[in-house]
Formats: sequence, structure tokens, C-alpha cells
Amino acid sequence: MNRVRNFKLFLWALLGLGAAVGTARFMFGLGATTNLSDAVPWGLWIGFDVMSGVALAAGGFVLTATVYIFRLERFHGIVRAAVLTAFLGYVAVAVGLLFDLGLPWNIWHMIIFWNPHSPLFEVGWCVMLYLTVLLLEFFPVPAESFSGLAKVRNFLVKLRLPLVIAGISLSTLHQSSLGSLFLIMPYHVHPLWYSPILPVIFFLSAIALGLMMVTFEGLISSYLYRRAPETDILAKLGAAARWVLLLYLGVRFTDLAARGQLGHLADGGWQVTLFWMEIALSAAIPAALLFIPRVRHSLAGLWIVAPMAVTGIVFNRINVGGLVHQQRGETLYLPAWTEIAISAAVVAAAALAFLYFVEKFHVWERRPQDPEAAPAALPRFDVASFASLGSPLVRSRTLYSLAFVFAAAFGFSLLSGEALSSRGVDPAPVEEARGGDTLWIDGNLDGFGTAFAHRRHVERLGGDSTSCALCHHLNVPRDRQSGCYSCHRDMYSVSDAFGHDRHASPAGAALGCFDCHAPDAVKSAQSAKECADCHKDLIPAGAVIEVEDYQAAGYTEAMHQVCLGCHQQQAEAVEKPDLPRCGTCHREHKLLVDDPLLAQRYQRLESRGVIVPEVLEEHFQGIRLAALPQEPVTQIDEP
Amino acid sequence: MKAILTDTTLCIGCRDCVVACRKANALEPEVPRRWETRDGLSARNWTSIVERPGPVYVRKQCRHCLEPACASACPVGALRRTPEGAVVYDGSKCMGCRYCMMACPYGIPRYDWDLAVPYVRKCILCYDRLKEGKQPACTEICPTEATIFGDREALLQEARRRIRENPGRYADKIWGETEVGGTSVFYISDADLSFLTRGRELAQTPMPAHTASAMHAVPFAFFGMAATMAGISWIIGRRMDLQQKSPEDKKDDDHE
Ligand code: SF4
Ligand code: SF4
Ligand code: SF4
Repeated sequence: MNRVRNFKLFLWALLGLGAAVGTARFMFGLGATTNLSDAVPWGLWIGFDVMSGVALAAGGFVLTATVYIFRLERFHGIVRAAVLTAFLGYVAVAVGLLFDLGLPWNIWHMIIFWNPHSPLFEVGWCVMLYLTVLLLEFFPVPAESFSGLAKVRNFLVKLRLPLVIAGISLSTLHQSSLGSLFLIMPYHVHPLWYSPILPVIFFLSAIALGLMMVTFEGLISSYLYRRAPETDILAKLGAAARWVLLLYLGVRFTDLAARGQLGHLADGGWQVTLFWMEIALSAAIPAALLFIPRVRHSLAGLWIVAPMAVTGIVFNRINVGGLVHQQRGETLYLPAWTEIAISAAVVAAAALAFLYFVEKFHVWERRPQDPEAAPAALPRFDVASFASLGSPLVRSRTLYSLAFVFAAAFGFSLLSGEALSSRGVDPAPVEEARGGDTLWIDGNLDGFGTAFAHRRHVERLGGDSTSCALCHHLNVPRDRQSGCYSCHRDMYSVSDAFGHDRHASPAGAALGCFDCHAPDAVKSAQSAKECADCHKDLIPAGAVIEVEDYQAAGYTEAMHQVCLGCHQQQAEAVEKPDLPRCGTCHREHKLLVDDPLLAQRYQRLESRGVIVPEVLEEHFQGIRLAALPQEPVTQIDEP
Repeated sequence: MKAILTDTTLCIGCRDCVVACRKANALEPEVPRRWETRDGLSARNWTSIVERPGPVYVRKQCRHCLEPACASACPVGALRRTPEGAVVYDGSKCMGCRYCMMACPYGIPRYDWDLAVPYVRKCILCYDRLKEGKQPACTEICPTEATIFGDREALLQEARRRIRENPGRYADKIWGETEVGGTSVFYISDADLSFLTRGRELAQTPMPAHTASAMHAVPFAFFGMAATMAGISWIIGRRMDLQQKSPEDKKDDDHE
């Protein structure tokens, strides 16, 4: 049973890794743990966990239909396993969704807030209802082991036919509605995939996938538990699947032809390559192989065909789910390792649950030997010391725990503090100091470097001994330095330039409250001293800056309010009335063109007190050179 | 029904609207993040100025579609179009599936990727201000009236008038008049604005129509499938009952 144990060890390790990443996901949000972006809002968790999870669960409805509706009793032996897989598959979808949703605790909102126009609303309801149906369908299996539940079990067995029918109908809706989801994106999904009959295409491929998935499961479990596989049954499934796959191929290409999109196949883009890969893997090759009886009846043949078809159709879901969406991202989306870890953990959890049910209950006709319940599992003692040597049961559980814990620890160590705590702001790339005390840094993270006077910053911020930590935060792991904007906040926006904390902190000016605020008043900007009371040289007499609150102006605002105010003053002082007009600074833009429509509007605007240009560029040229002050009007110095 | 007309030939790219929007909606300061797009829209910038060669300045914001894809897609109705024409968002309903972001043909909604409790963020046509009888902050502040607020019909007429009375000044098109069923934020320009949809011409079909037929088919698919299955089950069951009564026929059933 080492195969099973090693497999479980692997699954438990995946689970541990997922636990670490999952913690980070809920603490730090989606940005820190995924590569999703405003341009690519759906990624692996939707494309694989949800879209493909549902597709993989298709075996459930296909087999219940075969056995209970079409009464093909020879498949009875595998129907329980198929229902169990479908049930666990849907649970996995729901759990995967909890990771992907931004506000997962609101998932139940779909029950009370209805929007029946939304395909996602349909998907959500189908998941909920079908999960319930699957639970009821599967419940009799574990209930066998508990005599107290016999009544419930009998009742549910009697209800089987209605349940099966409801399950099939819900699956039909659900499989197809995953296709409907993408109907609203005609401008995004590549025309080789976008089609008004996406729901039909999804439903057909789900049937084929269901058959192939049941085959695949049968193969894996017989390998793991060293059982003889039900080759004859599997061959029959393959025989059915080949027709469905053929039909699917026919529909795909007829649809392409009907929509006049066959021409895209000659485009030669990477999407066309993906298309042919998908068609080959999902349908063309598997169908062709399944038509050869020798392949259908041989284990090796099935080991090739089933995984291939499953991969191919999952590939189709991932393609439609985002991979072939055109013109969405400016950059290619590749899932982060953290995304892959979560997906893997969800699959691992489902697989462990499957193995649990298989070992504990009567899922297969021949229940596999439970390795942990084997006679050898009796505790053994060292005869000399009477110390327990541990039973295999205890030993394998210890191993699983260890695998989980070590994988979780490994996961935590991989999660970098930088990625988690940066909130999406990358540390500015720095190059070697060039030319003495100047560094070349890309402080704005826009690809353009600037010469950063490092030495001057050191001096201004308090010298060698105290200044380093202001930018290089040793408490933030792997943080190399703050970006420029963390001090120069107004580079991008409105922000705090006063720096209250720096005034109050012992490491800064170390002022007490009452050094600035009046003792009996509410502590606010209004009740505080004026800046100029201490910083005598901060604001020259007659400057137009007013200290309204702690917010310094953002760049654009500053330019418009601060510069313009001074320009207005200067305009009077030097008698150059055009100095404060837009065109003085915005010399390049179109407003300078003499334009009757604009001129009219300007007059209206000027009557409202807004300043607009009236005259042409040469005119401003002279004024600019003559009248612009050479030095900045205000200078902010450290106290 | 209210609307915004943006005339890019009048925009001087001063970004006062961007600042005004941030103030009116109490948005946090903006720093560049990994997940942001180059057009400048983000969870903290609900409007942005895109600079095109010329220079032409194009103010980007939610288009407030007459038949919004986002609202039709949202499974819980967190996005909704008000009678005034604003497409507004109710964060207390949202579950964060981001289907709205996937569905919007203009790629407008943005997300709080950096927060553990994230919401969808986009221009809401200053709905609170509208209800107070005020106009949106961005149109109010615009110094050149490049972006103006008013009744949709009146603004459409104004746009047509400008195009008519200034031959050669504008491209003969109102972006947003009829595409995807019409939008409440529309543009006239001398430059080609199809870059707003990444070069694709949008058809006139409203976005919700693309899913409507599939959604209408839902009850039929459900009950149709259920009836078919029940029927098949009954027929096969009966046939098997009959065969059990006449065991010699049993062989016939072995083919499938
Ligand atoms: S532009 Fe996009 S976000 Fe705005 S109303 Fe239309 S669909 Fe919704
Ligand atoms: S993210 Fe929120 S607003 Fe957008 S579709 Fe989902 S539930 Fe609706
Ligand atoms: S209408 Fe309001 S929310 Fe929308 S861009 Fe203008 S200021 Fe911002």
C-alpha cells in the first residue's frame, strides 16, 4: 500500500502549501497573492478551478443517466464513484470560488438578491441546487454503514429517480451556462471560440468529458489500489465517447463555417495554434484513437486517450475562460505560483476526501483494503522496554501531519514580505552609484530613471547616523528603499507634506503637543501655530501659499494654484497681463490656435473669472523668459 | 435622462476633472501599482486623461451605458442603472466575482486589488450630487467646458450642432450615440476615438441582448430535459417490464 501512502503524503504536502498561501490570500488580498490585474480580472482560479472543475464533474450526470435512465446495468459498478467524484468536484468548485471572490462572505447574497439576466446568477444557483442533489444522491452510500440512518437511506433510495432527473437537468443547465457566461463578451473572446451557441458547445463537450473522466478515474484508482480495472466497461464508455466527440467536432466546425469565421484559421496568430492544439487534444486524436477497437480495449490505449481528452477539454475551458480573450491585457497574464498552489491544494483536498470515502465506504463493488485497518496495524511493542513502536496507522498519520506542517512552513517561507506588504507598489529599481554621490534610480517606476542626489538626501535628513532608516526600512523584509513618492507624496496626488509625526516624534523635532497647539483648544490645524512662527524663512512675505490643512497640493493642483497665484501677483507687478494665462505654460496645445468657437467660450469663461489665453505663442515667449522667477518662490527647509 | 458630452477639441489636458473627482468621491492618493492599466483609470482614479498624438486629450470614465453590460452581468444586482442614467454600485451587495469587469465592453470597472476587503470602483456619475440637484464634480470644474453635463437629448443636439456648424473641425461621428444601445457619456472629437475600445467598432446591439436568448432558454432547457429523461425512463422501464414477462425476448436487448 505504499503507492497509496506516498500519494497521500504528496496530497497532504500540497494541502500544507495551500494553507500557507490561503492565509496570505485572506490577510493581504488578491493583489498580493495573484497576478490578476484590472486588465485581467479572471485568472487561473476561474479558468481551472471553476470552469474545469465543473467540467470534470460531468461524469456524475452522464453515468447516472446511463444507469438509472437508460438502465444500462453493466455500468452500475462505477456509478457510485462517479457520483462521489461529481459531488467532491462541485465542493471543490465552491471552495475554489471562495478564494477567488473578493468578498467571499457575501456569496450567499445570490440567494436573496436576484438578477435573472445574469448567466453567473444561473451558474450560482445551479451549483447550489446540484450540490444538494448530489449530496442526496450520494448520501445512501455512507448511510449504509450506520444502521440508525436506514430510514433516511430508504427514503432517499426511493427518491432516486426524481433526484437523478433533477441532477441531469441541473447539469445540463450548469454545463451550458458556463458557456453562456462568455456570451456577453463578444468583443473579447476570439472569434474562433466566441459563438452564440457556446452553451451548446459546452454541454456537448461536457458529456464527452464526463465519459473520459470516469474512464480516467477508473484507471487511476485501479493503479493505486492494485485492482483489476473494469476494462470491458471502460471500453464501452470509450465507444460512446467517440460518437460524442465526433458530434462535438462537427458542431464546432459547422458553427465556424456558419459564422463565416473559418478564414481566421489562416490568420496564423498564436490563437490559431492554440485552436488546433485544443481541437487535436480534446477531440480529433481521442476520437480517432477510440475508433480503433484495439485501443479501446487495451489498458495502455485508454491510459493515453483518457488523459488526453480530459486535458484537451480542460484546455478548451481555460481558453474560453481567458486565455484567448483579445485586447484585454497589455501584458501577458501568467498565474502566480501562489495561484497554482491554491488550485493544487483544492484538488488535493478533493482527492483526499475521495480516497477517504473509497476506503471507508462501499463506493466500489470491491472495497479496497484499507491500509490503516489491516491486521498489521495493531500496535507493536518493543518487548524489552514496553515502548510502543507505533502502529502503521499512527505512523502514516504522523507522516501526513509532518508533510502538512513542513509544506506549510515552506510555503510561508516562500511568501516574500515584499510582495505581500507592498500593496502592489514595487520598490524602485536602483543602479550602482554613478558619478560619486548620485544614484540612478527609477523612482517613479515608469521606466525613466533620474539622478538621485543620495549624499544631499543623507545630509538633509540628519547625516550618516540617523538618516538611513528613513528610507531603508530594515523592519520591512527585503525592502530596498522607499519610492520617491513616499516622501514626495505630491508627486502623484494630494497628500501630507507637513509631516505631523515627524514634528512630534522623538526622532524628529521632538515637540510636545503644547509647543504648537493651545492647551485648552481642540487639537486641529486651526488651533495650531502657523508654520511661519517657527520656520521664519519658510514662507517669504507675500507668498500665496495658505496653510489650510495638512494636505499639500498634488502636482497638477500645485501648478495651477501655487504657480498661478504667483503669476497673477507678478502680472500686476510687472504689468504683463498675459502672465497668468494658460498659454504661458501650456505653450504647445491647441488652445493657442485662433478659433472663433473657442474665443466665444473664453469670453464667457473670463467673465466667470477663469483665465484663458487670447493671443498667440510668440507673444508669450517673450513674457516667459522675462518674467518667470529664476528661483522657486518657496523653499522648505528642515527645522 | 442625464448625460455628459466631452468635446476633445476643447480639452486642454489640465486634469482638473481628475482632481475634482478624487475630492468629490473622497478617493485615496494614487501611486502606480502593479495591476493598473496604462490608461490611468484605477480604483482611485475614476476618470483619467489619455494623451493621444496631436496632442489630443481624451477624458476616460464610465460611459453609463443605456443598457449596461455590467449591470446585466452582476449576479446580485450590485450594479444598477438609475432613472437619471447613472450606473451606480452598491458595495454591500457585491460578492466580488468581477464578472462586471469581464463584461464591460469599454473595460471600465476597476478593483481594490490591494485590500483584503475589496470593492469594485468606477465613476458613478456623482450620483449623490445628482440627487442634490448638482452637476458632477468633473463637469463643474472643467475650465474650458470641454466636458459638460445636461439632458441626453439636448447634449446630442448640441453635439450635432457643433459638428454641423464647424465643418472640418470634427470627425462626423458621436462616439456613444448608438453603440451598444447608446451611452450617457459620449464624445465628439477631431481624432479617432476607437482606441477606447482597443480599435474595435462596437455594434449597436445592446450587450445584455447577447445573453438574453440563452437566459430565456433556461426554463425550457430545464423542464425539457427533465421531461425527456422522465419519458425515456418510463419507456425503457416499461419495455423491460414487458420483457421480463416474456423471457424469450430477452436476447434482443443485448445490443446497444
Ligand atoms: S461603460 Fe462599462 S462599467 Fe460603465 S455602464 Fe457601461 S458596461 Fe457598465
Ligand atoms: S464583482 Fe460585485 S458588482 Fe461586479 S458582478 Fe460581481 S457581485 Fe456584481
Ligand atoms: S461624474 Fe463624478 S464620479 Fe464620474 S468621473 Fe466625474 S467626478 Fe468622477
